[in-house]
Amino acid sequence: MSALAVLLRKELHATFTSPIGYVLAAVFLLVLGYSFALTLFATKTANLIYIFHQMYVLSILLVPVLMMRAFAEERRADTLELLLTAPVREVWIVLAKFLAGLALVYGMYAGSVVYAVILGLYGEPDWGPIYSSYLALMLHGALLVAIGLMTSSLTENQVVSAALSLGLALMLWFADSVAYLLPAPFDSLAINLSLIGHFRPMVTGSVFVSDIGYFVTLAMLALFLTTRWLAER
Amino acid sequence: MSEDIKGHSLPPAGEDQPAVVAEALTKRYGPVTALQDLSLEIRRGEVFGLLGPNGSGKTTFIRMLAGYLAPTRGRLTVSGLDTVRDALPARRRLGYVPEAAPIYGHMRVHEFLTFMGRLRGIAPADVGRAVDRVVERLALGDVLRKPTRALSRGYRQRVAIAQALIHEPEVVVLDEPTNGLDPRQIIEVRELVRALGGTHTVIMSSHILTEVARTADRVAILLGGRLLGVRSVADTPDLEDWFLSLT
Repeated sequence: MSALAVLLRKELHATFTSPIGYVLAAVFLLVLGYSFALTLFATKTANLIYIFHQMYVLSILLVPVLMMRAFAEERRADTLELLLTAPVREVWIVLAKFLAGLALVYGMYAGSVVYAVILGLYGEPDWGPIYSSYLALMLHGALLVAIGLMTSSLTENQVVSAALSLGLALMLWFADSVAYLLPAPFDSLAINLSLIGHFRPMVTGSVFVSDIGYFVTLAMLALFLTTRWLAER
Repeated sequence: MSEDIKGHSLPPAGEDQPAVVAEALTKRYGPVTALQDLSLEIRRGEVFGLLGPNGSGKTTFIRMLAGYLAPTRGRLTVSGLDTVRDALPARRRLGYVPEAAPIYGHMRVHEFLTFMGRLRGIAPADVGRAVDRVVERLALGDVLRKPTRALSRGYRQRVAIAQALIHEPEVVVLDEPTNGLDPRQIIEVRELVRALGGTHTVIMSSHILTEVARTADRVAILLGGRLLGVRSVADTPDLEDWFLSLT
């Protein structure tokens, strides 16, 4: 655990001293602010459902860019050789990068809490769906960070890493749209793999263990594969 | 400094036990054989040179020794510890400087050395002293607060060597340590390697014969992934002739 703490400190330092995170967080909050103002004036209702859907889409677009450096940069700069020859397990290296990525993404999400506060001050929003939406976002963000880490461990080219990560996230998003083309049981498999299919119920206030299990399982699978690929060299 | 890292006490290494033993070591990358049936023993406290042209298998051997690569076949031990089965204890006994001398550009020199010291298992209370020791040994005092990305090639190499020495390893492995250095820096690194011999086992690779001849106690010649021979430098007055006769 002490190795994890040392690695996490280094990752947090690298993450929060790089301008990329701040630029993307600013873009994220700017787009959200614009959408929030627009939907509030247009609908005049105290709900954040559009904002949460926008955060879902923005995360799919921005998290691959945030995570593309994770291993790709270490590989390019040859520093990965330093980490992998130190007396630490690969799983700690992966977990440290995962937690640092998560800290940045959750920091971005935390900026959106101000919209919920504004609604709370000037309206009477239904808080249940807002809480469950934040849970959905946190799980969604964790899965995207894990996927970004996995693709970053495969290449030293950051653009390739981001493109792979974005491609995988989009495939998961639209998995259910090809279900009608597939024979059983692959059709139900495609439906159950759908990212939006597990995100949408939570945004409307319905929290199912199966939806939470989907995000947690896929994120753990991605982290497991990242660790395996690092260990097999 | 104690070698007791995170409560894991390392088994004492016997005086007669070789520092490194390779037995029929083979590494293949798909159809390409980078190293074929390499067997050798490296004694404690000696400076051992690996000599050979680019692509001869020196870096592959060194990377297997450092635990970065796993052998396809055969066995490699550091102080009796298998580099695959006992990977973490074996790595604790080893300090490694890769050929590119990689360091984190976003850190200052003291931050980088502290990070590497902690990563190699030095307790928080001891890491400051360990950093001071290597800073003095490598004469890094002038650049201690500088960002590592602003360092000259010579200083980068010194910082990379300092991180390999910070936990007082038994075996120090240097991959092409004089690559890209100017003549003065080459002399400094050579003197440092000589000074390390005796207190540490030093394994260095080079494709420059005179470099190995001036630094190493014994030298192994590799070509095409095969070990062609091992000789004591002192007992081989004409190393150049021996090298030419083998290659």
